[in-house]
Amino acid sequence: MKPLIAPEELPTTGRPHWRALRVVRNEVAEELRAVLRDPTTLFFSAAMPVGFFALFVGLWGAETDGVVTVGTAMLATFGTFGVVGVCLLTPGIGIAEDRDRGWLRVKRVSATPLPVTLAAKVLAAVPHALVVLLAMTAISAATGTLHLDAVVWARLMGALLIGGVPFALVGLTVGLLTSPNGATAVLMALFIPSAVASGLWMPLEMLPDGVQQVAPWLPTYHLAQLALAQMDGRVGLDHVVALLTFAALGAGAATLAYRHAR
Amino acid sequence: MTDAAEPAILVRGLTKRYGSLTAVDGLELQVAAGETLALLGPNGAGKTTTVECCEGYRVPDAGTVRVLGLDPRRDARRLRPRVGLMLQEGGVYPMARPQEVLRLFAAFHADPLDPDELLERVGLSDTRRTRFRDLSGGQKQRLSLALALVGRPEVVFLDEPTAGLDPAARRRTWEHIGELRAAGVTVVLTTHLLDEAEQLADRVAIMDRGQLVALGTPDELTHGQRARLSFTAQPDLDLADLAAAVGARVEQPRPGRYVVHAANDPQLVARLTAWLASHDVELGELQAGKRSLEEVFLRLTAEEDRT
Repeated sequence: MKPLIAPEELPTTGRPHWRALRVVRNEVAEELRAVLRDPTTLFFSAAMPVGFFALFVGLWGAETDGVVTVGTAMLATFGTFGVVGVCLLTPGIGIAEDRDRGWLRVKRVSATPLPVTLAAKVLAAVPHALVVLLAMTAISAATGTLHLDAVVWARLMGALLIGGVPFALVGLTVGLLTSPNGATAVLMALFIPSAVASGLWMPLEMLPDGVQQVAPWLPTYHLAQLALAQMDGRVGLDHVVALLTFAALGAGAATLAYRHAR
Repeated sequence: MTDAAEPAILVRGLTKRYGSLTAVDGLELQVAAGETLALLGPNGAGKTTTVECCEGYRVPDAGTVRVLGLDPRRDARRLRPRVGLMLQEGGVYPMARPQEVLRLFAAFHADPLDPDELLERVGLSDTRRTRFRDLSGGQKQRLSLALALVGRPEVVFLDEPTAGLDPAARRRTWEHIGELRAAGVTVVLTTHLLDEAEQLADRVAIMDRGQLVALGTPDELTHGQRARLSFTAQPDLDLADLAAAVGARVEQPRPGRYVVHAANDPQLVARLTAWLASHDVELGELQAGKRSLEEVFLRLTAEEDRT
């Protein structure tokens, strides 16, 4: 057997820098592989929102509010639920588990700057969330409740996927500061009440006045409204501003958490 | 590689506190390029914190650390591709497979070792597609070692590299570490295992309560200044008669173990064995002039306890 490392294999000159795109690509692939191999993550981040969507579309999808069928509108609201679930939970719990195992320490002193790893975790949430949205779209189409042209559908997907990124920053923040169990508890405590209070499961009009007053303060509400605006042909600038503000706060919190994380 | 005259690792007055606890207290240490240094010490001695400061993982409260002439924090980008870290069990995602993880790490480096060949070298080619959680303890350790080496590092930090391994796996890891030394890689390993330090290290640094309490080659530490001779035999020998015969004070610290307090020389050994022969006493073990590293370690850390 050859020796572990031979003297001639040691470097004799300075090293060129690592290649960022190759590293990000590999890291994203690694993240997605990890999701596919974890049934619990797949259940909570994909099967559960898609299952809820199928149930509610089956019950009320054919009804109409005069503009679009409920099934089509649910692609925006349940789509928000699905995207936020993926973006909050997957990177957040993942980074908490990495820290718990000592992997973050290995990464922190490895050749690749840790922010590249963290960015990959955020980026990996996008294709993951896209799969959830595609599954919902397929269910909506299969039940005959999807009434969107391709351009509007593409705008809707774009708004949801880009609008989901700030939630991944919040997930990272929590994951960088808490244990795996703590991250799951904190993120679920943020996610489920926000989803309900933003009208993602049922129309806001059906909820108590107090909840309706709270909704505009929630980023999940603004993402859902931005998604609905794409169906109406509106830009939804106020929602874009709200989400940008949320993104800035999320980025600031994630940066602080990164500096303090061990 | 570094200039041979320049130390691979230079630690000057390193101090690190966690709240009111001083984990490392004014540590001074140098590791030469190509040297293997074992950091020994009881739990809480400051070994891991020292290594973490050298890796750039923690920021010192005072003092300076240079690795390959670079500041581990300020020059992190330049330093990290030249350093490898092996943690106990490595922190790898349980469902990941050795080949994937090693390829991922190889992608971090501009000019890595071939991951598949490295897996073969550490004896993991048959388990390259086995999930990490299904690997044995020794296999996990070897994967961690491969991860530390894939970037062809000049300095490697090994955190208790054989903790929890069976004797065969431990021996194999020792062989790998010996190969690193032969290749000229600078190795810093933390360990609780005195035989591991004695077997692998060019020099041993013993830390206790954040301070360096001894530093030297295993031979230097075990010889020391207070040379003596110890032996085992039947209990309760006539110590006064024996002392008169060998010309030195003799103690029996515990039944059947005797210590002769005198500079070790061939005449002393001859007088001792002659006395034993004349009294028909069977000699058990004889240790001349050299204490075990364990004795040194226990004496030094016990001295710290008293102060």
